[in-house]
Amino acid sequence: MGGGETLLCVDNLTVTLATREGTIEPVKEVSFSVGRGEAVGLVGESGSGKTLMGLSLLGLFPPGAKPPKGRILFEGSDLLSLSPSRLREIRGQKISMVFQEPQSALNPVLTVATQMEEIYKSHTALPSSEIRGRILERLREAGLPDPLTVSRSYPHQLSGGMRQRVMIAMALALDPLLVIADEPTTALDPTVALQILALLSRIRKSSGQSLLFISHDLSHVRRVSDRVLLMYAGRIVEESRSPIFFSTGPRHPYGRALLASRPEGATLTRKDGPLAAIGGQVPPLWDLPEGCSFAPRCERADDLCRSVLPPWKSEGEGRVFCHHPVDTPLGAPVHAA
Amino acid sequence: MRPDTSSPLLLAEGLVRDFELPGGALFSRKKILRAVSEVSFSIGRREVLGLVGESGSGKTTIGRLVMRLLPPTRGRILFDGIDLTALSGGALRSHRRRFQMVFQDPYASLNPRMRVREIVEEPLAVHGIEHGKAARRERVAHLLERVGLSARDMERLPREFSGGGRQRIGIARAIACGPELLVADEPIASLDLSMGAQIINLFSSLVETEGMSLLFISHDIPVVRYLSDRVAVLYRGSVVESGPTEKVFSSPRHPYTRLLTEGAFSSEPATPQGELRSPDSSAPTVSAGSLSAREVGLCAFLPRCGEARPECRILPPPLYSDGEGGEALCHLLQGEIAWLPLHPSNQGRPSDVPIASSR
Ligand code: SF4
Ligand code: SF4
Repeated sequence: MGGGETLLCVDNLTVTLATREGTIEPVKEVSFSVGRGEAVGLVGESGSGKTLMGLSLLGLFPPGAKPPKGRILFEGSDLLSLSPSRLREIRGQKISMVFQEPQSALNPVLTVATQMEEIYKSHTALPSSEIRGRILERLREAGLPDPLTVSRSYPHQLSGGMRQRVMIAMALALDPLLVIADEPTTALDPTVALQILALLSRIRKSSGQSLLFISHDLSHVRRVSDRVLLMYAGRIVEESRSPIFFSTGPRHPYGRALLASRPEGATLTRKDGPLAAIGGQVPPLWDLPEGCSFAPRCERADDLCRSVLPPWKSEGEGRVFCHHPVDTPLGAPVHAA
Repeated sequence: MRPDTSSPLLLAEGLVRDFELPGGALFSRKKILRAVSEVSFSIGRREVLGLVGESGSGKTTIGRLVMRLLPPTRGRILFDGIDLTALSGGALRSHRRRFQMVFQDPYASLNPRMRVREIVEEPLAVHGIEHGKAARRERVAHLLERVGLSARDMERLPREFSGGGRQRIGIARAIACGPELLVADEPIASLDLSMGAQIINLFSSLVETEGMSLLFISHDIPVVRYLSDRVAVLYRGSVVESGPTEKVFSSPRHPYTRLLTEGAFSSEPATPQGELRSPDSSAPTVSAGSLSAREVGLCAFLPRCGEARPECRILPPPLYSDGEGGEALCHLLQGEIAWLPLHPSNQGRPSDVPIASSR
């Protein structure tokens, strides 16, 4: 974890929901930590539980949720046992969130300045003149070249990329310790997405915030994260340092398969043969198979996998939740002589 | 039938499409938005042309023009030598089965109340293929298997499928009448990673084994690179660079293509420099008081370009060709060995270029 002090520690968190199809556990026995100043990428496809995981950190649970099991330690105190008012305070000041679609997270009838003012007024006792200065400063930090014009604009007057920058400025308004960004680049054009990634990295490096970057886009996770958590069907199935995950390769067969299913960076063409697509689909959470949830789609699955829950295996700074993790590094290891 | 490989299956020439902008004060003159500006391309048989662009590039409009879902303001679309833009009504309908579309959102494009069998059968009925219930049923079963579903899925409803399953239904419907050309607009953008790969493989096999041609419209550069034989890169309604896929992506010549490929193929951590080099693609409407570069006929990429030359601020960029299929619309190619300007007489027609001018 880069030797940093732990800011957030999620300890064996399970979220249980009652749905029409039955009781499901979209977050199941999840443990991980985020160090101060660290950027952690949480990767998963839809239905993996990654979004709910992020919301849990804000103490937000969907309707139908039973009281969660486990602990979420933030600066040492358990968010799950805090009073609602104390939780709200932390949520506003110390942990903030950037959403996928700033359009829906921003209030359409208020100007950017008004919305940002509300944040300061409800959490600080700063005088108005001071607040105005901070708003412009935050907007400028978020890479908006003309903060004054932007602050007087309504969300619909801004482009998608600019709205996301405003969202980031708002998330950073009170200098939080942890920023949770849930698919912040998914709704953006590729070149704009890259700018937003660069912005998140830059701000984190200059102000020492921690970042939990939730995304399905492996190439984006690779760009911003120090560490990667891979989720499948509600569980974390692998944890690894980013450079290892992306160069040596994931050790979990699902991670391997995900990486191989994209023609990322490779000069592979359709003439070279089909992509290594993962067969089948993510199982519904109310109908998970015995043993390893990935077994029905896994090339390495055997009877053990289909009947017994895999153990956690650690290696160096990483760990993998699998009976038969992949040992060979990505790509053919070529040794001259 | 041996396909005639000498002429392209589809030839788009000088496509232009204007839209009237809604709003504007009462009695004020109408604002015109030029969504597609002088776009030309061709697709050979068994060929995949990747059309790359971000939002506002006009890529979706081009797909709709090719499908004749929209008439062009100007320009021609020749399909197998027939000018589609000159056809309408029954004449157009008789050719429609030869080119079909796959949409981005399989949720929105399938009728939720129709069963899979009915969805796939409909085009067969419309085009009078396979009379007789049993024959049609058999054909539907075959089509479903072709796209990776099964005959057992016939009586199910779209909502019983995942996004990937729905996209397969959409493809089965599109290929029902044996089209020669498929137009796919962001067909994997709303799918999960693992589903996306399966759908890409399906398109690839339709081209390789069925001999279909594909216009693959996407913002996903790695996927376009994998799938396409040639690519055309769109920026604000114009093709700014085109050519064989490998050439365009491994040695891009237009600064915009470079920006796109840098992002897609480098795994370098994002840098602040990268951020500063490329200001936001869409300017804020709040400061849109003055005319943009594009509106006065200059290179639309000028406001974002880090390599602009003095002439970029005065003259529209000429179209250069390397004589081997590579083309780029940019002043930087002036004086480069092997790159020559195309139709210099056609360049610099200011009357042709205004985009959001008043009429
Ligand atoms: S535990 Fe078995 S089935 Fe699950 S991922 Fe590992 S090898 Fe595959
Ligand atoms: S024509 Fe000029 S401004 Fe446009 S991309 Fe080329 S160098 Fe940049």
